[in-house]
Amino acid sequence: MSIEVRNITKTFRTFTALQEINLYVKTGELIALLGPSGCGKTTLLRILAGLEGPTTGSILLNDQEVTDRHIGERGVGFVFQHYALFRHMTVFENIAFGLRVRPRATRPPDATIDAKVRELLKLVQLEWLGDRYPRQLSGGQRQRVALARALAVEPTVLLLDEPFGALDAKVRKELRRWLRRLHTDLHVTSVFVTHDQDEALEVADRVVVMNKGRIEQIGTPEEVYEHPATPFVYDFLGGVNLFHGRVHEGRVQVGDLDLALREQGDIPDGPAIGYVRPHEIDLHRHPGEEGAIEALVGRIQPVGAVARLEMVRTDNGELIEGEVSQEQWRELALSTGERVYVRPKSLRVFPEPVE
Amino acid sequence: MSLILKQPTVLPGFGLTLGFTLFYLSLIVLIPLAGLFVKTSALTWDQFWQAVADPRTVASYQLTFGLSFVAALINAFFGVIIAWVLVRYSFPGRKFVDALVDLPFALPTAVAGIALTAVFSVNGWLGQYLEPLGITVAFTPLGVLVALTFIGLPFVVRTVQPVLQDLEKEIEEAAASLGATRWKTITKVIFPEVFPALLTGFTSAFARALGEYGSVVFISGNMPMRTEITPLLIITKLEQYDYAGAAAIAVVMLVASFVLLLIINGLQWWSGRRQVAF
Repeated sequence: MSIEVRNITKTFRTFTALQEINLYVKTGELIALLGPSGCGKTTLLRILAGLEGPTTGSILLNDQEVTDRHIGERGVGFVFQHYALFRHMTVFENIAFGLRVRPRATRPPDATIDAKVRELLKLVQLEWLGDRYPRQLSGGQRQRVALARALAVEPTVLLLDEPFGALDAKVRKELRRWLRRLHTDLHVTSVFVTHDQDEALEVADRVVVMNKGRIEQIGTPEEVYEHPATPFVYDFLGGVNLFHGRVHEGRVQVGDLDLALREQGDIPDGPAIGYVRPHEIDLHRHPGEEGAIEALVGRIQPVGAVARLEMVRTDNGELIEGEVSQEQWRELALSTGERVYVRPKSLRVFPEPVE
Repeated sequence: MSLILKQPTVLPGFGLTLGFTLFYLSLIVLIPLAGLFVKTSALTWDQFWQAVADPRTVASYQLTFGLSFVAALINAFFGVIIAWVLVRYSFPGRKFVDALVDLPFALPTAVAGIALTAVFSVNGWLGQYLEPLGITVAFTPLGVLVALTFIGLPFVVRTVQPVLQDLEKEIEEAAASLGATRWKTITKVIFPEVFPALLTGFTSAFARALGEYGSVVFISGNMPMRTEITPLLIITKLEQYDYAGAAAIAVVMLVASFVLLLIINGLQWWSGRRQVAF
């Protein structure tokens, strides 16, 4: 089932949580709403679910207007960050809840409920825990029960609010792979909220990057990571170096570095900010012909697939982070305190925002 | 057990504190109660039976236990509603209402009794309007019930309130998202969570009502066989220097209360077990 968000604005008294949000989710897609806390992503999810109403705008599910429809009638499954399991019920009863509370006319017979719950327990790989109580389970297990409970009512849309937010790193990683597989099997249209860019990039078909109640960019993980549309997206998705410079007639100058603006010829002359990711940096022992930024090597972390190092610019003392392959690292043979010349392989330039 | 005790622990002082607890409880609770039994033993079985099975005394048991139970039920019902309103809604004067709930705790019971009698007597504020409707409160069993309900009110509110406060809003949202109606959410999700606390509150209110004396004696009128509560009967016997007789009735009350509390505790254990079972 497709989801369409049309011009949603939500204000709480004087605070604007969402501003003119437009979004279209195709049937069977897995979408991540990504952004820092307070960016409105959870509010948007709750409006999709019907847990909150928008101030203006409308929500369409499968091209049908549902803005004023109660959450119970929208056919959405909602998974809460802190699971919200019913403490006094066993795992089995938690999952069966959605079926048992149906009006008598549409309630399936007990045997059907029983079979359905068993099937779901198997799906979330907790067959042997059916008669336990939620407090006897680990966080990861609880979240899987919450997911099974939401799936029991056969929702056409699955909404997950920071589903792995309260779990430790290892379990998070396991569960998000598992969620990805589950989505591939079930193919139910899903939207999940996260503030963790790795999670969004790894799991989602498309990522919606949000900031301050607005959508900054919508795109596949590759698009948003490789071609960030705004400085915010660049900054938010992974580590990044930031260079203040000037644009002049299609070239950008940062310190002693002078680079041609390739596809970005439309930047007006004036102050600009260049962004470059740590692994997109070339390091040299001598300044080349194009010029480079001079820096001193600071802390070195040579462990792992790449060597990470911090450098301090000699002209203004700003910090630069770099990542080079182990092979390159051995060739360079740099040590702390040595002089190094930094040249970005690609620099993404945005005009400096006027304060 | 002895194995556990010998283990070094980060919480020392178990032996000392347990010893003190037992000593203190003996001094304050057990010894006086044992004295009651000793006092009763001055009677022969015949005399004992006469004292406790006297028709007037039996009528007082019925009144005391019956009305205490009904008062606790009333308090359970309205206490939950009051707690719900205090937790769920914010309205001007909420803090004031919240403080009002504790008033029956703080007020000397005799004062409460006099106030209730004044209000509900035939020409009192409320009594004068109830009288034409054929409802007499003061000096009837109904009056006793009003007094017992009054003094038991805070117990249920104060035990249920924190549980309702801790109940996550998300649980109700989850139930709604699964298609549960509001009524189903309340009966199947909220009520079971609150039930153990409600039972505790009910027990406290019931126990409190059983022993209540001060507020009842004014409003009941103390008519033998009709509005005479057991604690009053004990006082009457004491005033007639019938210490053994008073102790005998007290023993009956003590044993009956103990058995009732035991049953309710059993219920509580049973309902709590479903949540913490291992």
